[in-house]
Amino acid sequence: MNRRQITGDLPHFPLHVFVLIWVVIAVYPVLWVVSVAFSGSQSLSIVDLPPNPTVLDRLRTLVPLPAHLSWSNFASVVTDQPFLLWLLNSAIVSTATTLVGVTLACTSAYAFSRFRFPGRNTGLMAFLVSQMFPGTLMLIPLYIVLVMWLGLGSSRLGLVLVYATTGIPFCVWMLKGYFDTIPRELEEAAVIDGASPAAVFFRIVLPLAKPAIAVTALFTFMTGWNEFILAATFMDKESMYTAPVGLRFFVSGYSEQWGYFAAGAIIVSIPVVALFMFLQKYLVSGLTAGAVKG
Amino acid sequence: MSLTLTTIRGAVALVIGLIAGLGLFMGLSHEAQESEYAARLDRLAIIRSRMIADLVVRAGGFGEASRAAVARAATADPGVVSVRVVRLGGAVLEASTVAADSGDRAAPRRLERSEKWIYDLGQMLQAARATNRDEETTRKAEIVVVRDADSGGVLAVAAPIEVDGSVEGLALVQTADEPPPVATPLLPAAIVCCAAVLLFLLTSGIARNSRWGTALLAALALVAALGAAAWFTTRTISEARRQTTRAVVDLTARQATVARAALPEDERAYDLASWDVDSFGRPRGLVQTDGSATAAAVALGAVEARQWVLRRALAIAVAALSLLLGVALGLATRVTATLRKYRQAYTYAAPALIAMLVLVFIPFLYGIALSFTDANIYNSNEPIGDIWVGLRNFRDILTDLTVSRETPAGRVFNYQNFYWTLGFTIVWTVTNVAIGVTVGLALALALNTAGLRFRPIYRVLLITPWAVPNYITALIWRGMFHKQFGVVNQVLLMIGGDSISWFEHPLTSFTAIVSTNGWLSFPFMMVISLGALQSIPGELYEAARVDGASRWQQFTSITLPSLKPALVPAVIVSVIWTFNMFNIPYLVSAGEPAHATEILITQAYKVAFEQYRYGYAAAYSTIIFVILLAYGTWQNRVSRAVEAV
Repeated sequence: MNRRQITGDLPHFPLHVFVLIWVVIAVYPVLWVVSVAFSGSQSLSIVDLPPNPTVLDRLRTLVPLPAHLSWSNFASVVTDQPFLLWLLNSAIVSTATTLVGVTLACTSAYAFSRFRFPGRNTGLMAFLVSQMFPGTLMLIPLYIVLVMWLGLGSSRLGLVLVYATTGIPFCVWMLKGYFDTIPRELEEAAVIDGASPAAVFFRIVLPLAKPAIAVTALFTFMTGWNEFILAATFMDKESMYTAPVGLRFFVSGYSEQWGYFAAGAIIVSIPVVALFMFLQKYLVSGLTAGAVKG
Repeated sequence: MSLTLTTIRGAVALVIGLIAGLGLFMGLSHEAQESEYAARLDRLAIIRSRMIADLVVRAGGFGEASRAAVARAATADPGVVSVRVVRLGGAVLEASTVAADSGDRAAPRRLERSEKWIYDLGQMLQAARATNRDEETTRKAEIVVVRDADSGGVLAVAAPIEVDGSVEGLALVQTADEPPPVATPLLPAAIVCCAAVLLFLLTSGIARNSRWGTALLAALALVAALGAAAWFTTRTISEARRQTTRAVVDLTARQATVARAALPEDERAYDLASWDVDSFGRPRGLVQTDGSATAAAVALGAVEARQWVLRRALAIAVAALSLLLGVALGLATRVTATLRKYRQAYTYAAPALIAMLVLVFIPFLYGIALSFTDANIYNSNEPIGDIWVGLRNFRDILTDLTVSRETPAGRVFNYQNFYWTLGFTIVWTVTNVAIGVTVGLALALALNTAGLRFRPIYRVLLITPWAVPNYITALIWRGMFHKQFGVVNQVLLMIGGDSISWFEHPLTSFTAIVSTNGWLSFPFMMVISLGALQSIPGELYEAARVDGASRWQQFTSITLPSLKPALVPAVIVSVIWTFNMFNIPYLVSAGEPAHATEILITQAYKVAFEQYRYGYAAAYSTIIFVILLAYGTWQNRVSRAVEAV
């Protein structure tokens, strides 16, 4: 790390102030949700205002610290509300999506990386172009086909099929990039030792690609876990909601239950935020690399 | 006549094409007959139930007189198994000819628990009538046909009994009709098949062994065979329709006689047109008031049958012909050879490719096809050809230029106009990307300062907005912009301002969604810029300083150019992300006020899933795709240029 940047000789104090302002902006909404979650009430405001509030009273409403701490929102969101069921739906759908998507993508990425065959370039281009279809554009035909024709509305299977296939292009590109870096000599050596093509793939290539497969799987899982609009459109029955649809359900309509929402949002976010912090460096390189190669 | 290899291949291709084409025609004919028979049974049962409903009203409403009349009518018609008349007020079985309903179970009596379904049916009809009247639409069926799951025949028909314009009860009629057996013309198909092959073999000499000539001859033979099949299918379907027409006219006449015999004291004529109705109670226009058939309606039925077959025949012909040409020209052989040669590669690639084909590319093409139709929630089961409207959707979207108009009360904007939404989307994208780049870059520069304390902590905290799932972000910010309890308004009140209804004016609504999106998008730019800044060699700055360059000069001539290779692709992807950022406008402002803050994709979504105009929404989406494709092509060129630098 070099120590001679453009900002090298600036005084540090104003920089700290500037950065701190943005840190507050970045963190405030999160703290606000945390304090609503622990406030024990369903209201949006953290503290109740007295009838004639002074500036100090008003300032107090902004501080993300509830008047009294309570676990009750967490307790009732998992007991009184069907939130655990929604979490379970999300977990099932995301896990199944990951399994289906990554399995399909692995073999396909291997073919694109190792073999030259008619249709290879067309296939790769098609994968890229399909990334350009906005999700909502696919939604109308998919809705008609899956829900109105095949009757897969409000079913986890329908959602898994949609998530897995829309996720495949990303997985294929990620994995292909990694397979490309595995030296061919390893496979050739195995073939000379008498390994069948299937053995080469399963015993040599896949074990070597474990880290890339893990990262791809985690991304696929996160995408399924965080997806909102497809789930909101496909899942009509309340018992089949996924967590995002359920969270939205808490704060839409006439009775806005912000306490449940906040508690639920924290439960849903903790795993993905942690995963994200762990994965972000892969994400940055993957996304921009794809963009440059176009 | 000489049987060369080319001729044999042509013959094989022809046979394959014939099997596929004629098979499809047979399936088509089968399905058409089945649905025609089903529709006929429904129609006959509806006529009977309407007659009973009429009879009850004529006999002075519910009571002894109508009970006797209904019983007489039911016994006079051998096609009726049973009739039940139910009054909804009090849930009373007013009349019944069901065998079990005699003795102490005889009507009139209250409905029993096991008969609750009849009462529910009545409630449904009542609600449907009310809804349709309120909405002035025909959305809910006002006459319900209960089908028998086993035989496919009609189990019962429930028709509302209306007194003074409100649904007071229902007539439930069970009929004995069975659908006639569906004919499958195997023999004619076989004859046509043989004739076509024979025709081809006899004429194959003309082609003189040329591959294209043979294929052309085979295609002609196939077209001739398909033409014959189309003619035959049209005849079958027209005949089925003619039978329906005759059955309907006959039955109405018979029912009129039955009704008169059942209620001899009433000498007013019956309106027979009001018996032959669709499930919304609208007359079908075949039977006239006096019971005679409308000639125009009969003729129209035949024309419709012909068009119906013709449209499907074209699709079948295209499929069969391409199959034939594929085989005859050796394409199929070549494809098979390629598949075999690269078997391993295709085995690996196939699962994902097939999944993509079935669930991404075919739906995509289907979506494009939908954009040329007026598909909506009611007709999306119908084949594309039947709801085709050509370019109408595109014309409606693109030629509507009235973004705003003058009214006496001032300027009124039509926020649903495509060009407003397009303009809004562009402003939205540009603003957001500009905010992201500016804030992200400024923070990256600050964080990149040598020896700045707490750097890793700052970095983690500043990435938080990116890590939070964006639908949660959206809902949080919607809460923070809440008029009464939202934090933003609390701040305004604290510094002495007034609270604002953020989502009631386009400009404040725009501010709200841009703030939300800005909040969640700056970390991406910050991370990208930080990475790029760290790779700039410090010697460059040192050298510039030695040369006496000012800080601004250093920034514009060293920092910015070095950032370019990283920032340009980042800007390109974030433009696409922002353009497609569905969750923020949808969840934060929900397009309020009056769809003013809708971006293109949320607007398309709302047309599809709130107005249920799938065709129009598909056209809208296709336009969005074209815009994205144009942008993608352009960005490709730009990023190539950047790479070359």
